[in-house]
This record gives sequence, structure tokens and C-alpha cells, in this order.
Amino acid sequence: MHPQNLLLLSPQKCTLGCPILDRSLAGGIPCKSITEIVAESGSGKTQLCLQLLLTAQLPTPLGGLSASSFYIHTEFPVPLRRLRQLAHSFKSSYSNVFASSSSSSSSSSSTSSSDPCDFIFVRPVHTADQLFDLLLKLDSLLENPPTELPVKLIVIDSIAALFRSEFENNPGDLKRRSSLFFKIAGKLKSQAERFGLAVVITNQVVDVMTSSEGINGLKIGNLGNLYSSGRRVYPSLGPSWAHCVNSRLFLSRDEEILGDHVGSGEYVCRQTRRQLHVLFAPHLPICVEESLRLSFASVFSSEDRNNLRKCTKSVCLVASKMKVWRASRISLVVVIANQLQMLGYGSMENDLQQENLDLCQRGKFWFHFLPGDTNRRG
Amino acid sequence: MEIDTLPISASMRGKLISTGYISLASLSSISPSQLAQDFRVRESEAVEILKVASVNGRVGNSDGFVAGAQTAWDMLREEEFASRITTSCKEFDHILGGGISCKEVTEIGGVPGIGKTQIGIQLAVNVQIPVDYGGLGGKAIYIDTEGSFMVERALQIAEACVEDLLGKGTAWKEFRASQPKLSAKNLLGDIFYFRVCSYTEQIALVNYLEKFISEHKEVKAVIVDSVTFHFRQDFQDMTLRTRLLGNMALKLMQLPKKFNLAVVLKNQVTTKYSDGSFRLTLALGDSWSHSCTNRVILYWESNERCAYIDKSPCHQSASALSAVTSKGIRSSTSNCSRIKLM
Repeated sequence: MHPQNLLLLSPQKCTLGCPILDRSLAGGIPCKSITEIVAESGSGKTQLCLQLLLTAQLPTPLGGLSASSFYIHTEFPVPLRRLRQLAHSFKSSYSNVFASSSSSSSSSSSTSSSDPCDFIFVRPVHTADQLFDLLLKLDSLLENPPTELPVKLIVIDSIAALFRSEFENNPGDLKRRSSLFFKIAGKLKSQAERFGLAVVITNQVVDVMTSSEGINGLKIGNLGNLYSSGRRVYPSLGPSWAHCVNSRLFLSRDEEILGDHVGSGEYVCRQTRRQLHVLFAPHLPICVEESLRLSFASVFSSEDRNNLRKCTKSVCLVASKMKVWRASRISLVVVIANQLQMLGYGSMENDLQQENLDLCQRGKFWFHFLPGDTNRRG
Repeated sequence: MEIDTLPISASMRGKLISTGYISLASLSSISPSQLAQDFRVRESEAVEILKVASVNGRVGNSDGFVAGAQTAWDMLREEEFASRITTSCKEFDHILGGGISCKEVTEIGGVPGIGKTQIGIQLAVNVQIPVDYGGLGGKAIYIDTEGSFMVERALQIAEACVEDLLGKGTAWKEFRASQPKLSAKNLLGDIFYFRVCSYTEQIALVNYLEKFISEHKEVKAVIVDSVTFHFRQDFQDMTLRTRLLGNMALKLMQLPKKFNLAVVLKNQVTTKYSDGSFRLTLALGDSWSHSCTNRVILYWESNERCAYIDKSPCHQSASALSAVTSKGIRSSTSNCSRIKLM
């Protein structure tokens, strides 16, 4: 046995796709460790995971891992349609990366380019034992990857669904459950160490009934209490699972009703605020909070002006298409939000290239007036 | 045995006999301060006399002092000079009696995210503080079982430590130039980092440690983070686990005595079902709790990190506040940062 040379060890990080979020995480999701994302449903965990599956394919200078990823999901339906939408906009934003990779493989056709979805392996599991068996089989996939990019990212979405239904609330079952946690986490960590993987696991939250202070308290992390949607919450699966992960991130979601600008009284403007907190991480000692915005193209920080501009432009182009921009400003934004949900996003950008500039400017003005995302999908 | 057969100076012998101390038995029950007072000698000389008397008395005595046994007196003298590793937080050091002791096994446990790994990294850096600055000037072995050791964080803590040390010098620039060895990179280079991924590896490594340390005599601290992770999986029979843990505990307890270094173990918490409710306790059970000399539990108290001495043979139960900053572990800066005696 030989000690490892610390000066040669410098783990890679996988970018989240937004430079400001990366900065708050000191570079992104680290390799060789397990990062857990805890959030209520509808907060954007799956969106963040899907984005990671794509950014992992970026080359290392751009912050990616230049690797394929493995997506293990336990909740249904599988967000494949959403993955395709994200892959499409991802390909167009990083077109130089994908064009160059295709030109090296086939010089004849210039239109065929590699699809990011080719480098994502998706697998469902239904029980915890199935997950452990899958991890055992994963060894061979990690040693001999079927594509030219090695697998360096494993995403499990979500781990809570596997454990919350099978086990009763008596001490015997709980003990069996916690030993399964350590078995799975031990296997994941040894694979992460051996192959240099980044592992991302999502988790759900439960409501908190008792106090969490003092020597018997279960308070984890520096946040006094975790609030999401106005309720005090706590990550599920208990303190045993909390020992199994290396870092924990919390996404909170709050609905805020904006003040009384509404004249007609029919529409109430709701603003959804999503924030990313770092609960604990060995390399991030200070608790960080970052406001998130979700758009149809990506998840990004509220302060990321480039992405904001892109998002604004596309939304106002949509608005012009629907010809409802004469309505009052607040109600318009709500209507846009609802309409966007029904339309597919992939085709939008191609149709609406020819709009004039003042419309975009007006769209920007709306967005500055109402700083916030009213719909998590756009 | 008589006084006149003792190998002490003639004048001392004369004084002893004239005052009435003829046999060794009379010397055995006297304290050095009394002896010093009686003869108007320095206390150190009195100690010497008593030591000589006790040694000689032992050799001829057939009651059987075991060869190699130490008297409690000797141990007390040794303990006063025993070195300690500072944790960079004054209150924490105070409740530990000056820092982590170099002859004992200390166990630190707490909920996830409270800073156990941070304390481990801080100790691995602090043990390397040169002797000129009041440290031990030794190297550290860091055994990582969970993968929480982040090199960039260790570099941050090492840089802050170097800054703190060199900033204390009066002629700052001169000091810095004369200490080229004291850099963050060198501090990191002197930490022997092992990563283990299963319990068999962990046991093998602990068995190998003795050989490793005898080859690298400058090691003064062994930090295991954490000792419980691989043992919380399902074992087919729990007696195997107890046996393995017992063996490991024994090996880990022998290291401080033999090589005069500090062993710091990290532990996790678990919920114990007792009397119909769940309580938080340190993991690995009651049999493990006998293995460590000192036990420290870390917990949250209204946004402050609190360290509580749960078990210690020489320090009373007390708690102290500490904080984890970008420089590592430091004293908490809140208004009510004081030591609470429980």
C-alpha cells in the first residue's frame, strides 16, 4: 500500500452550464464524490440533472468531463421528451463542439452531426436491490464503454422513491434500510474512486414536526431550518443516508404573490422563486445561496445576463406570434407562461427569426418590470 | 536495604542518616517537598534521591515489580511534558486540556456537515507546525474511507496556517525568506493520504500502519475519516463485525503508546431506539465506545457549532463553541462564546 501524492490529486469538476452557479459551487459538481440534490417536487431537480447529463459531454476546457453519462431513474414517466428538447438547444448553443466532433468522424456529409442523446444511457430501476445489482453490472460498462467517450457521470433520480415504500417504520426494517444505504453508497464511492466518476443523486423532502436543536437534534447544515413552499422541510431518508453522501445541495421553491398592481382583478401574478443552497460540502465551507431560473433551454442563475437576454428575446418573440401583446402587462406574462407550456419549444426559434427589434425591446422591458420566472418551463 | 548502600553523594547520605532516615522504608512514604524542606535542598534533588531509592528498593524486592512497569509518578512527569496538537480554536483546545493529546486515541463524532472532516484536515496541517513555532513538526497520516477529503480545501487551510504562523514574526519578510520550507505545498506533501474503499482494505491498512510508521518515524498523527463507514453495511453475522472492530481498536490503541503519536478517529451518529423514542448516539455500538480514551461529540446549537467532551479520563464534561471559516477551524466570534461546564 502506498500513500497517494496529494499534490497530484486534483479532482475534475463538471460544470452545471451556468458560470455563476459554478462559481458558487467552486467549479461545479466534483468527481470522485457523491453530491446529493434535495428538493421538493417541482423545484427543478430533474431539470438540473438532465442539464448535467448534457454538460458532461463538453470538453474539459469548457468545464465538462468529455464523457458519457448514465441516468438511472426510479420515478415515472421518464422525461425523455424534455431531454430531447434540452439536447436540441444544447447542440445549437455549443454547435462548434458538436460540429468538430462530427467532422473528425465523417468527412463526407456536413449535415450529420452527433446527437448528444447518443452519449446518455438510461435505465429504470424499481427496488433498492435492483439498484445494487445494476451497480454491480455497471463495472463492466465502466471498464469497456460502448461509445468513444468513457462514462464519467452517474445520475440517480431519485433515491428516495426506492426506499420509501418498501420499508415499514419499525426498528428492524429501518436497520435493514440503513445497511442497504451503506452498501449502495459504499459501492458507488468505490466505483467513483476507481474510475473518477461524479455521482449525483436526487432526494425528496419530508415535513418536520419536532425541534431539531441541541445534542439530540437532527439539524444538518448551517441553515436554521429548510423552508420550501412555506413549510419546514427536512431531507428524507434520515441521518443515515446523510452520512453516505459527500455534499448536499438544497433547492427551495417559493411562490410569491406580487403586490396589487392588478386592475382587472382577474389575474393574480405569481412568481416562483427557486434558490440553490449548499447545506454541507467538504470544499465549500460557507453556505451559499443562489437564485435559479429555469428556461426552456437551460437552468441558469438569475444574474446570468447572457442567458437572461436569450430567454427574454425568445419569450417576446413568442408573444408577438400570439398577438396578445396589447393586453395588460401583468396578465400578458401569465398568459405567455400558460401558452408556453402547451407549445413545443424546439420549433419556436426557427419560425420567429424575422421579428423586429422594438418588440424585443418591449419584451425586455416587461422582464425588467417583473423580475422573476413565472413558469418553470419558460 | 540501607541508606548507606544507595548511590548518592556522601554529604547527602550523611544528612539523611543524621536526621533519622536509616532505612528505605522510611523514605518510601515521604513526599519530595517535605524532603526538600527537611534538608534545605532543591526539590529536583529530593526527587532524584527518592527516585534512586525507589529503583534500588525495587531491584532487591522480591514482591515482584514487573520489569518495565512504570510508577504513576513517572507517568505524571511524562504527561506534563506530553505534546499536544492544537486545533486552532482556543476554546476547543481548552476543554481538551491544551489540544489533542499525543498519547491517546480521541474520537470525534457528529451529524453530517458539522465539520468533522474540517477538524481532521486542520489537525493534519497543525501537526506539521515547526517546533520553533510551538508545534510538533511531525507528519500526518490521513486515512480517508468516505472520499470527503478535498485537496483544494486542504490547500486553503494549509495556506491560512502558513499565513498565521509567518504573520506572527516581527520581521515578516525576513522570516518568510528564511523559511522556504514552510509553504502550503510542502505542508500538503507531508500528509500521507490513503484512500480505502472497503472494510477489508481498512483492516489491512491498520495492520500495515505499524510497519509504515516504523519506517517513517516523523509521523505524529494518524487521522481516520471515518472509522465507521465501511462497518455499517450488513454483515452476515454481527460477531464477525465485533471481532473485526475489536482487533482494529486494539491495533489503533497500541500506536500512540508505541510511537508517541496522536490517533484521531471520526465517527458518525445513528439513532438508537430506546424507551420508545429515538436518540442520537455515536455509531458502532457500546463495545466500540470502550476503545477510545477521549470522546468528543459535535452538535449544532442555534447556528453555532458546539463541541462536547463526552468521555475523558482527565477532563471534565464541558462544551465549547467553534466555527469553521475559510481558513479552517477557528474560535467562534459570537457574543456568547464561552466555555460551558455541564
